[in-house]
Amino acid sequence: MAGEKPDYRFSLANERTFLAWIRTALALLAGGLACAQFLPPLPISHLREIIAVALLLLGGVVAVRAVDHWARTEKAMRLGADLPRSRFPAVLALIVAVGALLLVVAVLIKAAR
Amino acid sequence: MTADPAPGYVRDPGASAERTRLAWRRTGMSATVVALLAARPAFAPDARPGIILLAALAMAGWAVLVALAYRRAHWLAVWPPRPGRRAVTSYALITAAFALLGTVLVLL
Repeated sequence: MAGEKPDYRFSLANERTFLAWIRTALALLAGGLACAQFLPPLPISHLREIIAVALLLLGGVVAVRAVDHWARTEKAMRLGADLPRSRFPAVLALIVAVGALLLVVAVLIKAAR
Repeated sequence: MTADPAPGYVRDPGASAERTRLAWRRTGMSATVVALLAARPAFAPDARPGIILLAALAMAGWAVLVALAYRRAHWLAVWPPRPGRRAVTSYALITAAFALLGTVLVLL
Protein backbone atom coordinates (compact mmCIF):
# COMPACT_ATOMS: atom_id res chain seq x y z
CA MET A 1 0.00 0.00 0.00
CA ALA A 2 1.48 3.30 -1.10
CA GLY A 3 1.38 6.47 0.95
CA GLU A 4 0.49 7.09 4.57
CA LYS A 5 -2.35 5.64 6.59
CA PRO A 6 -5.11 8.26 6.76
CA ASP A 7 -6.94 9.18 9.96
CA TYR A 8 -9.21 6.22 10.69
CA ARG A 9 -12.23 8.51 10.80
CA PHE A 10 -11.80 9.36 7.13
CA SER A 11 -11.44 5.69 6.26
CA LEU A 12 -14.61 4.86 8.18
CA ALA A 13 -16.49 7.71 6.50
CA ASN A 14 -15.37 6.32 3.13
CA GLU A 15 -16.59 2.89 4.24
CA ARG A 16 -20.00 4.28 5.20
CA THR A 17 -20.33 5.95 1.81
CA PHE A 18 -19.49 2.59 0.22
CA LEU A 19 -22.15 0.90 2.36
CA ALA A 20 -24.75 3.48 1.35
CA TRP A 21 -24.00 2.67 -2.31
CA ILE A 22 -24.24 -1.06 -1.57
CA ARG A 23 -27.67 -0.45 -0.06
CA THR A 24 -28.63 1.42 -3.24
CA ALA A 25 -27.46 -1.60 -5.23
CA LEU A 26 -29.37 -4.00 -2.97
CA ALA A 27 -32.52 -1.85 -3.30
CA LEU A 28 -32.23 -2.09 -7.10
CA LEU A 29 -31.80 -5.87 -6.83
CA ALA A 30 -34.81 -6.17 -4.53
CA GLY A 31 -36.82 -4.01 -6.94
CA GLY A 32 -35.83 -6.20 -9.88
CA LEU A 33 -36.70 -9.43 -8.11
CA ALA A 34 -39.98 -7.95 -6.86
CA CYS A 35 -40.90 -6.87 -10.42
CA ALA A 36 -40.33 -10.38 -11.71
CA GLN A 37 -42.29 -12.00 -8.90
CA PHE A 38 -45.17 -9.64 -8.16
CA LEU A 39 -46.06 -7.86 -11.44
CA PRO A 40 -48.70 -9.54 -13.60
CA PRO A 41 -47.53 -10.38 -17.16
CA LEU A 42 -47.51 -7.06 -19.05
CA PRO A 43 -49.24 -6.43 -22.42
CA ILE A 44 -45.90 -6.13 -24.25
CA SER A 45 -44.38 -9.61 -24.24
CA HIS A 46 -41.50 -10.05 -21.75
CA LEU A 47 -41.65 -6.39 -20.67
CA ARG A 48 -41.85 -7.54 -17.05
CA GLU A 49 -38.69 -9.62 -17.44
CA ILE A 50 -36.93 -6.79 -19.30
CA ILE A 51 -37.66 -4.33 -16.46
CA ALA A 52 -36.55 -6.89 -13.86
CA VAL A 53 -33.27 -7.72 -15.63
CA ALA A 54 -32.53 -4.02 -16.25
CA LEU A 55 -32.93 -3.27 -12.53
CA LEU A 56 -30.83 -6.29 -11.55
CA LEU A 57 -27.99 -5.42 -13.92
CA LEU A 58 -28.10 -1.78 -12.81
CA GLY A 59 -27.79 -2.99 -9.22
CA GLY A 60 -24.74 -5.08 -10.15
CA VAL A 61 -23.10 -2.10 -11.86
CA VAL A 62 -23.77 0.10 -8.81
CA ALA A 63 -22.11 -2.49 -6.53
CA VAL A 64 -18.98 -2.80 -8.70
CA ARG A 65 -18.73 0.98 -9.09
CA ALA A 66 -19.12 1.36 -5.30
CA VAL A 67 -16.07 -0.76 -4.51
CA ASP A 68 -14.04 0.87 -7.29
CA HIS A 69 -14.83 4.35 -6.00
CA TRP A 70 -14.12 3.25 -2.43
CA ALA A 71 -10.67 1.96 -3.45
CA ARG A 72 -9.83 5.10 -5.42
CA THR A 73 -10.90 7.35 -2.52
CA GLU A 74 -8.83 5.29 -0.08
CA LYS A 75 -5.79 5.57 -2.35
CA ALA A 76 -6.25 9.34 -2.79
CA MET A 77 -6.42 9.78 0.99
CA ARG A 78 -3.22 7.77 1.44
CA LEU A 79 -1.37 9.81 -1.16
CA GLY A 80 -2.85 13.10 0.03
CA ALA A 81 -4.26 13.70 -3.45
CA ASP A 82 -7.62 15.23 -4.34
CA LEU A 83 -10.53 12.88 -3.77
CA PRO A 84 -11.72 11.26 -7.02
CA ARG A 85 -14.66 12.95 -8.65
CA SER A 86 -17.45 10.98 -10.19
CA ARG A 87 -20.22 11.55 -12.68
CA PHE A 88 -21.84 8.27 -11.69
CA PRO A 89 -24.44 9.70 -9.24
CA ALA A 90 -25.67 12.06 -11.95
CA VAL A 91 -25.76 9.27 -14.54
CA LEU A 92 -27.68 7.00 -12.18
CA ALA A 93 -30.16 9.79 -11.42
CA LEU A 94 -30.69 10.34 -15.16
CA ILE A 95 -31.24 6.62 -15.77
CA VAL A 96 -33.79 6.45 -12.95
CA ALA A 97 -35.53 9.61 -14.23
CA VAL A 98 -35.73 8.26 -17.80
CA GLY A 99 -37.08 4.95 -16.48
CA ALA A 100 -39.73 6.76 -14.44
CA LEU A 101 -40.70 8.86 -17.46
CA LEU A 102 -41.07 5.75 -19.64
CA LEU A 103 -43.33 4.17 -17.04
CA VAL A 104 -45.46 7.34 -16.82
CA VAL A 105 -45.89 7.27 -20.62
CA ALA A 106 -46.79 3.58 -20.48
CA VAL A 107 -49.42 4.19 -17.79
CA LEU A 108 -50.90 7.13 -19.75
CA ILE A 109 -51.10 5.10 -22.98
CA LYS A 110 -52.81 2.30 -21.12
CA ALA A 111 -55.29 4.73 -19.51
CA ALA A 112 -56.10 6.39 -22.87
CA ARG A 113 -57.00 3.11 -24.55
CA MET B 1 -3.23 4.48 33.81
CA THR B 2 -2.48 2.25 30.87
CA ALA B 3 -0.63 3.79 27.97
CA ASP B 4 -2.71 4.93 25.02
CA PRO B 5 -2.27 2.13 22.46
CA ALA B 6 -2.65 4.60 19.62
CA PRO B 7 -0.89 7.88 20.38
CA GLY B 8 -1.62 10.55 17.85
CA TYR B 9 -5.26 9.58 17.49
CA VAL B 10 -7.90 11.72 19.14
CA ARG B 11 -10.73 9.85 20.85
CA ASP B 12 -13.62 10.21 18.47
CA PRO B 13 -16.48 12.40 19.67
CA GLY B 14 -18.43 11.65 16.47
CA ALA B 15 -18.55 7.91 17.24
CA SER B 16 -17.51 6.94 13.69
CA ALA B 17 -16.89 3.32 14.66
CA GLU B 18 -20.39 3.02 16.10
CA ARG B 19 -21.97 4.71 13.09
CA THR B 20 -20.05 2.46 10.74
CA ARG B 21 -21.16 -0.63 12.68
CA LEU B 22 -24.79 0.50 12.37
CA ALA B 23 -24.29 1.15 8.64
CA TRP B 24 -23.08 -2.46 8.27
CA ARG B 25 -26.18 -3.63 10.12
CA ARG B 26 -28.56 -1.63 7.88
CA THR B 27 -26.79 -3.03 4.84
CA GLY B 28 -27.18 -6.54 6.24
CA MET B 29 -30.92 -6.00 6.55
CA SER B 30 -31.15 -4.88 2.91
CA ALA B 31 -29.17 -7.97 1.91
CA THR B 32 -31.63 -10.13 3.85
CA VAL B 33 -34.54 -8.76 1.82
CA VAL B 34 -32.70 -9.54 -1.44
CA ALA B 35 -31.75 -13.04 -0.29
CA LEU B 36 -35.32 -13.84 0.77
CA LEU B 37 -36.70 -12.58 -2.57
CA ALA B 38 -34.12 -14.71 -4.40
CA ALA B 39 -35.14 -17.77 -2.36
CA ARG B 40 -38.89 -17.18 -2.69
CA PRO B 41 -39.51 -18.92 -6.06
CA ALA B 42 -38.10 -22.16 -4.59
CA PHE B 43 -41.17 -22.43 -2.38
CA ALA B 44 -43.61 -22.57 -5.29
CA PRO B 45 -45.24 -26.02 -5.57
CA ASP B 46 -43.84 -26.54 -9.09
CA ALA B 47 -40.29 -25.29 -8.38
CA ARG B 48 -37.68 -26.84 -10.67
CA PRO B 49 -34.32 -28.11 -9.33
CA GLY B 50 -32.46 -25.18 -10.92
CA ILE B 51 -34.58 -22.67 -9.00
CA ILE B 52 -34.05 -24.58 -5.75
CA LEU B 53 -30.30 -24.63 -6.40
CA LEU B 54 -30.30 -20.85 -6.96
CA ALA B 55 -32.22 -20.37 -3.71
CA ALA B 56 -29.61 -22.46 -1.88
CA LEU B 57 -26.83 -20.36 -3.45
CA ALA B 58 -28.63 -17.17 -2.42
CA MET B 59 -28.92 -18.31 1.19
CA ALA B 60 -25.25 -19.38 1.22
CA GLY B 61 -24.26 -15.96 -0.14
CA TRP B 62 -26.39 -14.30 2.51
CA ALA B 63 -24.66 -16.32 5.24
CA VAL B 64 -21.27 -15.15 3.94
CA LEU B 65 -22.47 -11.53 3.96
CA VAL B 66 -23.64 -11.86 7.57
CA ALA B 67 -20.30 -13.44 8.55
CA LEU B 68 -18.37 -10.62 6.84
CA ALA B 69 -20.35 -7.95 8.70
CA TYR B 70 -19.85 -9.85 11.96
CA ARG B 71 -16.07 -10.01 11.45
CA ARG B 72 -16.00 -6.36 10.47
CA ALA B 73 -17.81 -5.35 13.68
CA HIS B 74 -14.94 -6.95 15.63
CA TRP B 75 -12.27 -4.82 13.93
CA LEU B 76 -14.42 -1.73 14.47
CA ALA B 77 -14.57 -2.44 18.21
CA VAL B 78 -10.78 -2.43 18.71
CA TRP B 79 -8.87 0.79 19.31
CA PRO B 80 -8.06 2.41 16.95
CA PRO B 81 -10.69 0.96 14.58
CA ARG B 82 -9.08 -0.82 11.62
CA PRO B 83 -10.24 -0.01 8.09
CA GLY B 84 -11.92 -2.99 6.46
CA ARG B 85 -10.36 -3.75 3.10
CA ARG B 86 -11.30 -7.38 2.57
CA ALA B 87 -14.81 -7.05 4.01
CA VAL B 88 -15.58 -4.14 1.67
CA THR B 89 -14.27 -5.86 -1.46
CA SER B 90 -15.95 -9.20 -0.73
CA TYR B 91 -19.24 -7.55 0.15
CA ALA B 92 -19.33 -5.69 -3.17
CA LEU B 93 -18.39 -8.79 -5.17
CA ILE B 94 -21.06 -10.91 -3.49
CA THR B 95 -23.63 -8.17 -4.13
CA ALA B 96 -22.65 -8.19 -7.82
CA ALA B 97 -22.93 -11.99 -7.78
CA PHE B 98 -26.45 -11.60 -6.38
CA ALA B 99 -27.26 -9.42 -9.39
CA LEU B 100 -26.16 -12.20 -11.75
CA LEU B 101 -27.98 -14.85 -9.72
CA GLY B 102 -31.15 -12.77 -9.83
CA THR B 103 -30.82 -12.30 -13.59
CA VAL B 104 -30.50 -16.07 -14.12
CA LEU B 105 -33.47 -16.59 -11.80
CA VAL B 106 -35.65 -14.18 -13.81
CA LEU B 107 -34.61 -15.68 -17.15
CA LEU B 108 -34.98 -19.31 -16.03
